[in-house]
Parts: sequence; C-alpha cells; structure tokens
Amino acid sequence: MRPALERLLLIEQQLLNDPAALPAAEWQLRQLLDPDLQADTAAQQRLYAGLRAVGRRELRRELAGIHARLYGPLPSAWPHRAAAWLRAFIQAN
Amino acid sequence: MLLYGGVGGLLFWGGRGDNAGENGLTSTMSASPTSASTLRHALLANREQALTQLYHRAFPLVRRHVCRHGGSAQDAQDIFHDALVLLYEQAVGGTLVLTASASTYLVGIGRNLWHHERRRRARLPHETLPDDHLAQLASEPPALPEADVAVLDYVERLGEKCKRMLLAFYYFQQPLAQIAAAYGYGSVRSATVQKFKCLERLRQSVRAAFGVETLTH
Repeated sequence: MRPALERLLLIEQQLLNDPAALPAAEWQLRQLLDPDLQADTAAQQRLYAGLRAVGRRELRRELAGIHARLYGPLPSAWPHRAAAWLRAFIQAN
Repeated sequence: MLLYGGVGGLLFWGGRGDNAGENGLTSTMSASPTSASTLRHALLANREQALTQLYHRAFPLVRRHVCRHGGSAQDAQDIFHDALVLLYEQAVGGTLVLTASASTYLVGIGRNLWHHERRRRARLPHETLPDDHLAQLASEPPALPEADVAVLDYVERLGEKCKRMLLAFYYFQQPLAQIAAAYGYGSVRSATVQKFKCLERLRQSVRAAFGVETLTH
C-alpha cells in the first residue's frame, strides 16, 4: 500500500484496538517523533464517529423497510379494497 | 425479571425456554436463550433475514406494551427501532450478554426505553421525540459537532460502492473476507486496500472543506 494508506492502517490499528496495534509506550514514542500523528489520529477518530452516525441512519432505514414489508400500508389500502369488492358485488347482482 | 441500570446497563434475568439445546438462526430468535455469538453470526451472515425474524417476533409485543401505556403505534415503531439499533451494535461489537432469547431481550429494552420516554415527556410535555433519543438515553453526546456533520455529508458523496464498503466494515462490522466476496475483490488484501482508499478520499474531502484545524479539534 502507499505510505498514506499505511499511515491510515497504523492509526486504525491503534484506534480499533487491533491485535497488531503497537504497545502504548511505542505509540507514545511515535507521537513524540511525528508531530502530525496526534492530529491525524484525532481526525481519523472523527471519521469513525461520522461513519457510525451514517451507519445508524442506514440501519434505521433498513428497519423502516422491514417494517413496511411486514406491516406496511395495509390500513389505508383496506378500505379501498373493501369498496372495490362491494362495487364488484353490486355490479354482479 | 428485569433489572434496570440505564439503557447501556440493562441486566436481564429471563426464564429459560424449552429448546436450550438448539442452535442456529431460528433458535436465536425464538424463546430459547442462545449465545450472543450465534446472534452475531446470524446478523453478519444475513442481516436482513435476521432482523426480519427479530422484528416479526418482538415488535408486536413492544407495540402492545407501548400502546397500553399511553403511546401511539408510531411511538412503538420508533422505540423498537432504537432497541434494535442498540441490540445490533452490542451484538456485532461483542459486548452483548444474552441470558434469554434475543427477542425477549429486545422486548425488555423496548419497555425500558418507553419508560424513559414517558418520564421525559412528563417533564417536557411540549417537546416531540428527538431524532436520536437513543444516543441521549445511552449517555452519548446528543449532537454531532460541525465537523462530524460534515463527515455525514461527505460519506453520502463518496459514491455508492465506497459508502457501502466503509459502512459494511466500520458500522456493520462485516469481516473483510465477506466484504471482498460481496464486492467482487479477488482477495482480502485487495478489499483492504480499497477500503483505505475510500477512507482516504473521505478524509481528504472533509479536510478540504473544513481545514485541518476543524477536523482535528
């Protein structure tokens, strides 16, 4: 991977407590040696918070779809169906 | 019996069902208590199917409870969705402990969320249900900072494939092998590289719009 992507991976391993994450002391040392690392880590954490919010919204959208499939617009449709059935019944007789 | 200690700290004592020895998707949703890892597996393998089964089993019970205790059908739906979001996040995040069936657990969360909502409405009778009251009940920050709102906006602009991939990994917590197969990548490595390319694009978009300082503070 490109160095920029490797950097994202390194930060991700720390933030998501990946088994490959660096030991705390080594991570602190890296932060001392790399002045941008702390800011980049905070920025990446913000991205994850945003993705979590979008994910929740997406899950709610899926749940609304499931609700519509299971219980969907039957209440409003049913009077129309009953009226159609009555009309057909009256015409047939 | 329910012991309530906040939404995030819901403790559950449930009667054990008859089919405790069963395993698999159906038993996960049924009256028998099954392991959280079985539920996690079911949600990751086929989210729509697993959620539909949970919905079918638990929603009527939550709706009945909410409607009998001063709420509307819409309230019941909102509360139930909050409960399912909470259950999903706990299950795939590996923090869920089930001692009853998943649907019983869901009903318990729904009852407690509705209890809190009624108390909130009694205190603030003229305010409607907030958009994300689950976050508030779970003691999370109620509103996203401006830069986080920007992230929401830029995720939508990423393009469908990148957006789906990032959400699949970071929110829905699907394994990369599953993501690689779903999106037609030849290997987990290829999917990993693509995921980081998408993340980099998102980071650059937000940074370009808001500058480094806003994003990092």
